[in-house]
Amino acid sequence: MTATSTADHQEMIAGLTYPTKRDEAWRYAPHDVLGQLSFGPPIESTCELPPALDASIPALEGPRIVLVNGVVDPERTELSALPAGLRLSTFDDARRDQPELLAAHFDRDVALSTDMFTALNVAFGRNGAVVHVAGGHAIDVPVQIIDIALPDEKGRASCSGVVIHLEAGASATVVETRIGDGDLGGSNTRTTITLGAQASLAHIVLQDVASTQVHLGRVDATQGAGSVLSAHLFNLGGRYGRVDYAVRLAGEGARVELTGLYLGMGDQVLDQQVTVVHAAPDCTSRQSFRGVLDDESTGVFNGGIEVRPGADGTDAEQSNDNLLLSDRAEANTQPRLEILADQVSCKHGATVGQLDSDALYYLRTRGIPEAEARRLLIGGFADQVVDTVDNEILRTWITERIRRHDG
Amino acid sequence: MLHVENLTASIGGTPILNGVDLDVGSGEVHALMGPNGSGKSTFAHALAGRDGYEIDGTATLDGADLLAMEPEARAAAGVFVGFQYPVEIPGVNNMYFLRTALNSVRRARGETEIGARDFLSVAQEAMDLVEMKPDFLHRAVNAGFSGGEKKRNEILQMAVMEPRLAVLDETDSGLDIDALRIVASGVNALRGPERSMIVITHYQRLLDYIKPDFVHVLVDGRIVESGDHTLALHLEDHGYADFVNHDLDDAPERPLSGAAR
Repeated sequence: MTATSTADHQEMIAGLTYPTKRDEAWRYAPHDVLGQLSFGPPIESTCELPPALDASIPALEGPRIVLVNGVVDPERTELSALPAGLRLSTFDDARRDQPELLAAHFDRDVALSTDMFTALNVAFGRNGAVVHVAGGHAIDVPVQIIDIALPDEKGRASCSGVVIHLEAGASATVVETRIGDGDLGGSNTRTTITLGAQASLAHIVLQDVASTQVHLGRVDATQGAGSVLSAHLFNLGGRYGRVDYAVRLAGEGARVELTGLYLGMGDQVLDQQVTVVHAAPDCTSRQSFRGVLDDESTGVFNGGIEVRPGADGTDAEQSNDNLLLSDRAEANTQPRLEILADQVSCKHGATVGQLDSDALYYLRTRGIPEAEARRLLIGGFADQVVDTVDNEILRTWITERIRRHDG
Repeated sequence: MLHVENLTASIGGTPILNGVDLDVGSGEVHALMGPNGSGKSTFAHALAGRDGYEIDGTATLDGADLLAMEPEARAAAGVFVGFQYPVEIPGVNNMYFLRTALNSVRRARGETEIGARDFLSVAQEAMDLVEMKPDFLHRAVNAGFSGGEKKRNEILQMAVMEPRLAVLDETDSGLDIDALRIVASGVNALRGPERSMIVITHYQRLLDYIKPDFVHVLVDGRIVESGDHTLALHLEDHGYADFVNHDLDDAPERPLSGAAR
């Protein structure tokens, strides 16, 4: 990134304002909390990582890049013994060795910068990770990017980026863990994914920042012909936890599966904004998101399917199911369909319900105490998303996290 | 063993059970028969501990006051109710459910829990009893099961739980003749001197397979006649007309919904 482009970005930011409740995509966000966040260039953290936070990182072996407050933590980063075909670099290294990948990341962002937080990420998210897999290589070991928010002053939110580029026929699994501790603050992360023809990516986001914090995540993906993206979101932490997916099916026969689980308690607002653009013929998209909302928490699913002219043979489905555990909890679901092609199959459905009292009674007559019976039913509802993750260590991490949720 | 005296149940002020008296001794099998709407299922739910009824009277098992207990405590005390409409629970694995159920009652009784491996042989034995294929354990509880599979799953649970008192509510309803034979032979295999059963049925058909020691006729929320198995044969020939003196069609009953949401 050149000095000029940074100046451009700052100019752009100056022209933008924070979203408000009148913006459909930001309608349920806690704007008072967002207003207390401050963004700036990354500052090396002086804080020690609390041991509990270290322990909350999934116990996966293998390559990883760890960022603390938007700065690479060399001690926790592991870049040795990379399998053949995989290049995993920090943004600093990529600036030197793979500048074109970074340029694509930032250029694409500028074009898409429609909100203040995206623009802030472009301006300040100068550190991050680049995952590059050469054509035809299958990477078996999951690649981890861990983003940790430890605000050293109240309101401070970090910015970072992830670039994932799979060349034709390559395959990989990337796990992005976003955690944090401490006061109000949080993280603003942006991931750009490019999949070449027939490439296949499993992309998992574990969002579990502290309940005092905010996470703003954005994932922009462009898929080539016949490529497959399996994206799984576990949106668990934060006073406000938000992930936006914008997936563009640009090549014929591409397929995307987006699944998500959000578990809210207290006054959490967990927000998923999804847009899948069918821009080529015969592509398939599946969106399936589930929410479990307790106390006064709020869940948001705003899911869009856009079928562009010429994208004939589109097969798109979307579902959103919510379980309300409290009469003060709230689920907001909003499908957006825009279909400008022929021979299109688009299905969508949404449900909001409570724990089935008949099922609860049934389990209790089998000797299962009420609290355990509730856990079983909630677990059963959530497992239908958890089971979409192949990696057993991750499934265990998620299951244990869910168990902590129900106390 | 089971002592029920002047048991009444109503929903929102509408009486359903109007003073049931019943004593079931150890090892006995009692059939409870009656026309639709007579309160048979309500009797089963009253013993199981379903919410939503106003209950009065006495129901004790080995002297313990069932009516004062939560449903899970009744299960730990040895009550098992096989339901007419078993609930579907998507996402909850049948094997995990069964082991959780068994270990919950064992824990409540102060017994040691059973590990996954030992449980497998317990489950296998129960599966053989109701002629279930192994994949059955790995499916979600009752989800997408046929009517016959659901009923067989109830008997499977009974075999695993080894209750002191089993109340089987219309276990024969919706079964074809093969399923009926399997369910009945499962029930017969579980008869024993330490286990009592109340078999609730509308038809005498089931009693050709499960021979009861006593038969009771429930009409209008009250037991109006008791006898040996020949009473069931009488009902087969004459219907309930001898015992019914007014219209029962609009008597309230709440079925369990068939599908979990």
